[in-house]
Amino acid sequence: MVWIEFVTPSGDVRRVEASEGESLMQAAVRHQVEGIEAACGGSMSCGTCHAWISEPWSAALPQPEEGERSILDFGVHIRPQSRLTCQIQVSAALDGARIEVPPSQS
Amino acid sequence: MADDLMHAPVPGHVPADRVFAFNIYGDPRLTEDVQASYQSLHRDAPEIFYSPLNGGHWMITRYEHIFDIVKDYEHFSVREMQIPRIENPPVFIPLSLDPPTNLPYRQALMPHFSPKAVSAMEPKLRAFAADFIDEVLARGECDFVHDIAARFPVSVFMELMGMPLDRLRDFRALADDYFKARTNEEIGALGERIIGLMTELVELRQKEPADDLISKMIEFQVDGRPIALGELQSMLFVMFLGGMDTVTNVASYTYRHLAQDDALQARLAADASLIPRFVEEGIRSFGVINTPRLVVKDCERFGVQFREGDMVLCVLPLGSRDDRRFENSAEFDIDRQALTHLTFSSGPHLCLGHNLARMEIRILTEEWIKRIPRFSLKPGLRHHSRVGTVIAIESLPIQWPV
Repeated sequence: MVWIEFVTPSGDVRRVEASEGESLMQAAVRHQVEGIEAACGGSMSCGTCHAWISEPWSAALPQPEEGERSILDFGVHIRPQSRLTCQIQVSAALDGARIEVPPSQS
Repeated sequence: MADDLMHAPVPGHVPADRVFAFNIYGDPRLTEDVQASYQSLHRDAPEIFYSPLNGGHWMITRYEHIFDIVKDYEHFSVREMQIPRIENPPVFIPLSLDPPTNLPYRQALMPHFSPKAVSAMEPKLRAFAADFIDEVLARGECDFVHDIAARFPVSVFMELMGMPLDRLRDFRALADDYFKARTNEEIGALGERIIGLMTELVELRQKEPADDLISKMIEFQVDGRPIALGELQSMLFVMFLGGMDTVTNVASYTYRHLAQDDALQARLAADASLIPRFVEEGIRSFGVINTPRLVVKDCERFGVQFREGDMVLCVLPLGSRDDRRFENSAEFDIDRQALTHLTFSSGPHLCLGHNLARMEIRILTEEWIKRIPRFSLKPGLRHHSRVGTVIAIESLPIQWPV
């Protein structure tokens, strides 16, 4: 089991259990983490599962692919640590990772 | 009459306890409260059922099931979206293309419908909304569908496309006729004229590019080649269909509710910051699209056998009113926990205009409630709806004190 900490737009810290192999988005949705809308369910067609991955975990992740980058380019509240959580696979390396959910997805 | 409904024989792989006759084009169970009356299926019909009417098709009504099916394009394809099935179904780009074929088109359009792109249009949209409302304000009454909800998205579409102002009246009249048309001949002929008008615009922008979506679409590259005129026409027509009737109807059903809810009117008038929640609850409560899929590979899902060639209808308004996901799902409650619903569908064909649609209804409401904080339904009238794969209200006469 991998533990992930989501900081929600209301400022709550939600510590949730994620399984290796699922995406960060799936873990967030399963635990109904506020602000991770994931309207397209992981088809990379919306950008509503955007979150900021804190360091050092952000730097350790593989770089986003072109499709993800182009969605982030046109998003709101974008920072260098911005990622689409549907594109990040949960692994042991993410244990304890802190993920901040932006105040809105649009 | 039974013949008109194309009562098809039930295929052998469909067990008898899954058969439930429901006519999506006018079932007697559907009342003028279309979405609420649809909910009787959650109580009375098998969880996933096969209706032998209209050529025979599955009906999917639960959030979880719809969510899975619209994402599973390898088994459930968008390439045929007609119930009953027809020969030579039309191709709509990117709506009736499965991944990966739809991707280049969708990715080319997405930046223009992103939160950022959509917010840039806000001042223009606000001016349109204010104009339409000001036109009816002194009258103390209007048909909300015809005077407001149908006109607003047409202007938004023209603004987005960069349609010249001298074309505005022509185009609005054409759009009006198109959505009122009932026969296939009429729909076909008006569709041709709309495509013709958009083609003129494409040709104009090829000569004189401007800062608008059509000028950018002309430059789209698909698999390393310039986009063809036929592809552009198809995309423009899908945007026209997808961007108008839908916003018109979600807004109209939402206002039909608001007209009958004095307490909610008072809350919105007192605190405009509640409007986004009101809009979201309206969108959740009043879905207007049922999205079909064609089974292209045999599979078993949720204990049901689907066979190649089966048609499947995902009843999106019911996915958004599933009481397994939304507590008191029939209640219009702007304070409910925000949870993703299915009014915009999900998966690779999630409504491209979802950001724009939300903004249109929000701006309309902000401008409306400022000017007309209290209004009600004109008494004694019924509000007929057309039902099918699109659910549309025909009129909504309302009144307010002047």
